[in-house]
Amino acid sequence: MPEGTLCNKKTIDTQEALHALLADKSGKKYYEEMKQLDVNATVLWGVIRKTLKSRLRTWLEICAHCGMCADSCFLYLTNGRDPKQVPSYKIQSTLGELVKRKGKVDNDFMHHCMDTAWSKCTCCNRCAMYCPFGIDMGVMFGYLRGLLFSQGFVPWELKIGSGMHRVYRAQMDVTTEDWVETCEWMCEEYEEDWPGLTFPIDKPDADIMYTVNAREVKHYPEDLAEAAILFHLAGENWTVPSQGWEETSLAMFAGDWAACKMQVESVYDAMKRLKSKRMVVTECGHAYRATVVEGPYWAGLKTGKTPIESLHYVEWLAEALRTGKLKIDPSKKIKEPVTYQDSCNYIRNAGLAECAREIMSYIAEDFREMTPCREYNFCCGGGGGFNGIGRYREQRNIGLKIKRDQVLDTGAKLVIAPCHNCWDAIRDMEEIYHIGIRWSFLKPVLLKMVLVPEHLKPKDE
Amino acid sequence: MFKKILFATTASPVCDNAAKVAFDLELKWDAELIVFHVLGIPTHGFSPFVTDVRTGGNELADNDYLDWVKEEMKNTYDKLLQDAEKVTIEAAIGMPHREILRKARKENVDLIVMGAHTRPEDVGASRYRSVVGSTMQKVAKNARCPIAIISRPCTTCWKLFSNIVVATDFSKASEAAFSWACKLAKQVNANLHIFHAVDLKATDAGLIKAQEDIEACIQSAREKIENKYLPRLKGFENHTVEIWEGAPYIEILKFARDRQADLIVMAHHAREIDPELALFGSTVEQVVLRSACPVASVNKLDKA
Repeated sequence: MPEGTLCNKKTIDTQEALHALLADKSGKKYYEEMKQLDVNATVLWGVIRKTLKSRLRTWLEICAHCGMCADSCFLYLTNGRDPKQVPSYKIQSTLGELVKRKGKVDNDFMHHCMDTAWSKCTCCNRCAMYCPFGIDMGVMFGYLRGLLFSQGFVPWELKIGSGMHRVYRAQMDVTTEDWVETCEWMCEEYEEDWPGLTFPIDKPDADIMYTVNAREVKHYPEDLAEAAILFHLAGENWTVPSQGWEETSLAMFAGDWAACKMQVESVYDAMKRLKSKRMVVTECGHAYRATVVEGPYWAGLKTGKTPIESLHYVEWLAEALRTGKLKIDPSKKIKEPVTYQDSCNYIRNAGLAECAREIMSYIAEDFREMTPCREYNFCCGGGGGFNGIGRYREQRNIGLKIKRDQVLDTGAKLVIAPCHNCWDAIRDMEEIYHIGIRWSFLKPVLLKMVLVPEHLKPKDE
Repeated sequence: MFKKILFATTASPVCDNAAKVAFDLELKWDAELIVFHVLGIPTHGFSPFVTDVRTGGNELADNDYLDWVKEEMKNTYDKLLQDAEKVTIEAAIGMPHREILRKARKENVDLIVMGAHTRPEDVGASRYRSVVGSTMQKVAKNARCPIAIISRPCTTCWKLFSNIVVATDFSKASEAAFSWACKLAKQVNANLHIFHAVDLKATDAGLIKAQEDIEACIQSAREKIENKYLPRLKGFENHTVEIWEGAPYIEILKFARDRQADLIVMAHHAREIDPELALFGSTVEQVVLRSACPVASVNKLDKA
């Protein structure tokens, strides 16, 4: 059976197809069908010839197998230094082989590639910091994921994820109506406590266009309210777009290049439509990487930049605290030891380490760095889609040990984790290893210590 | 007064007392009842897994799982469902307080009925305790309709209530609590006992109020009640006014016992304390945990 009914080379573009896939609990039938899925070597080789450009070809060739990348990989370190977890080995035995064999590979090989690309690499790009040639295995695995996706070899959850983006332009089934309704609901719920609070939708020419993660809309709308309150207190002229509000990209985790483009273009369209001055994205790491760092290239923007200047939440927050738009009550600063989880996607891959330090200097009295930290920090252990794939749950849990030890070494019981995936990984780590820590996004922490100007305080009682 | 009721349940024995009240209201007030359970907490980042609220285990939440849970709920409420006519059973995935608020808003319900806390022999009790404690507070803070919290067996049918205590601190939210208590007392022809406790703030060490200060406070509270509330009770004679001093939750409980209250009505104070930090912090929660009768928290005027 070359193509299955659920596992095949087709993309998910309709609600029906999405529901059929969702109905297959844990992807049982999907993975069964995958065992029979044929590889179309001609098409695969065609794609490789068209898309494998000089940078990646050179990287594959010049790798000296020196092994300098080994110790950089948290999965190598937590899996008993298994040589099969050395990044250069991982990429040479998959993408390297695929190219050598000119795409003439079988189903078993593709399974090996899939399991490696999604369970032995989170695309955290840490290895690139240590390779003497600057070879970035994370980038290459991102590319390999694309090839695998095109042949239908992609974990079930991510096939669903990319389908969500195609159908809803969001990582979950949140429609425009749901989104607008949720904004109105949050305004209604919080306006009594925060007089004058508004949730401006599609307001043209605002200073800030705010974009979010669909999970906030679906399950954690308080996050939207907290963002609105902080913008309100800072006196920002801000808005959210009714369409193009979703900044994340499971399509990027899945390697669905076409869906990646569709998703970021929906955000860029909103930027152009509303003519906002700047865009700010919520506390999410991969969302920033997808829409701000990689997105412009997917969308074919020659500048390599988003249509308007784009900021991660930590950039906006650091600026708001620096310029005094938001003021902290010094008596309410965090007194206990606290550490910060540097997210790979906006710290290592976008250089925002200093913003994070600046924020911590305003809000914490005893800030403790992890070792290593900043650009050199390890992945939370759940990035690149790792958190959400049932097939690799065990491997993910093993990988979390590195973060456990890093956090323990700081002596801090509170971890600030301004990234949805990091937040989850740290929560799961606590649930598995019970080290007695707490974790938080920045917004709720800020709301507890920010000074509320007299005219914005509620007047009742 | 009760056309549509939302019974937010943990679907465990913890909520048995609340269930009896909810089904009784459905029957006696000819109301629609939605039995609603939130079963799993989703992740913040990408993942299809949810944490089962009762066991703490990881579940893959899909429609199958939801259907299975609904089936279980039907078994749990088997006996109560026999006499019920207008009951629907629903389950959802999400943060419990958020989904309860979402449902209440969508269905525009007149009352939310909840249990308060858990029993130690229950599976996953400690986890649920923290979830339920804060769930109740968060729902009480934000819901537009009254919340009835039932933690002990309540054998009196709501239609037969003879004593309703309304505790006020003169806040805007207390206005809503008073309005609603008043409406209910009139409908079931119960006595309405209007009560205020002068807060002596036992925690302010060293600051002991002089007796004349306390008496002045009591006098001013009495005037407030006379001016604010009594004119609205014209034609309704069955009411009393009482003002005591002390720690408000203790005084409320003492007063309720004294008047053999069937129901305590009060406002939940939104900004009084951070619900995350103080599991047993707010006055309303203290009252709920200790009260022998149901407690209704009313914060907003919408349904009052």
